[in-house]
Amino acid sequence: MATRFVGLPSSAELPASAYPQLTQINQRPAMAFDAASDENCSWTDVAPQGLSGTLTLLIYYAMASATSGNTVWQAQIEAITDGDATDLDSATSFDTANSSSATAVPGTAGQLDVISITLTNADSIAAGDLYRISVNRDANNASDTATGDAYVLAVELRDSA
Amino acid sequence: MAALSTTIRQQIWRGLMRYWSTQLETVAGITKSDLQAAVNAADDWADSNAASYNSALPTAFRTNATAAQKALLLAIVVLARYNAPIIRAIVGEVD
Repeated sequence: MATRFVGLPSSAELPASAYPQLTQINQRPAMAFDAASDENCSWTDVAPQGLSGTLTLLIYYAMASATSGNTVWQAQIEAITDGDATDLDSATSFDTANSSSATAVPGTAGQLDVISITLTNADSIAAGDLYRISVNRDANNASDTATGDAYVLAVELRDSA
Repeated sequence: MAALSTTIRQQIWRGLMRYWSTQLETVAGITKSDLQAAVNAADDWADSNAASYNSALPTAFRTNATAAQKALLLAIVVLARYNAPIIRAIVGEVD
C-alpha cells in the first residue's frame, strides 16, 4: 500500500457553486462541508508511475459541533489519458461516484476521524493520466445524520501496490 | 399568526447548524432530524401560545406595539437568560 497523493485545502479546486468554504480551525486550513446540502471540491494531479491495484481515498476530517450521528461521503475520479477525446475546457467525465458507508462521527467535536472510500469506480486510471478527485459530503443522504459542518483537513489517495 | 412554512423552518434548521459550526459550539447527542423536529416543535409552540403571550403583555404595549416588536421583545427576554452576546449584537452594549 502506497500513498499516491495528498490533497490539502489550500490546493482544492472549487466549482462555481455548492462548494465547501475554505476556513481555518485553530490556524489549520479546512474545507467546511455543509450538513444540509451537498458541496464538493476536487484536486488535480498526474497519476504517478507505479500506480496499481485498487485505489482508496481517505478523508481526514473533524466535526465542527456534532458529537453524534453519521456522515456519508462520496468520491469520484476523472482520468484523462493522452489522446482522449475529452474537451477539457468544456466537458467533465467523472466516473460513477463511490460512496463511503455511514460512519459515526467522533464523540467529541474537533477530534480527527479518517473515513476510507474504496474507489471501485476509478475511470480506468493509469500511470501518466491527468486526473481529478472530486469529494463531496453526501449531506442529503438519509444516513448522513450529523449536524453542522464537517471540516476536511486533508485527503489521501492510496493504491494497493 | 400562522406557523412558519416548511421552507422557512428548513432555513432556520440550516442556519442554526451553520451558526453553531462557525462558533465551534458543541451540539451533543443531536442528529439533523432531531434538530429539524426541535425547530418544528418550537414553531408549533410559538403558534399555539401566541395568544397567551399577547394577553400577558400590559395593555399599553399590547395595543400599541406591532407584532414584530412584540416578537423582538420575547426573543430578547429569552435570549437574555441564555445567550446575552447575541442580544448585544442586536441592540448593542447597554448600561
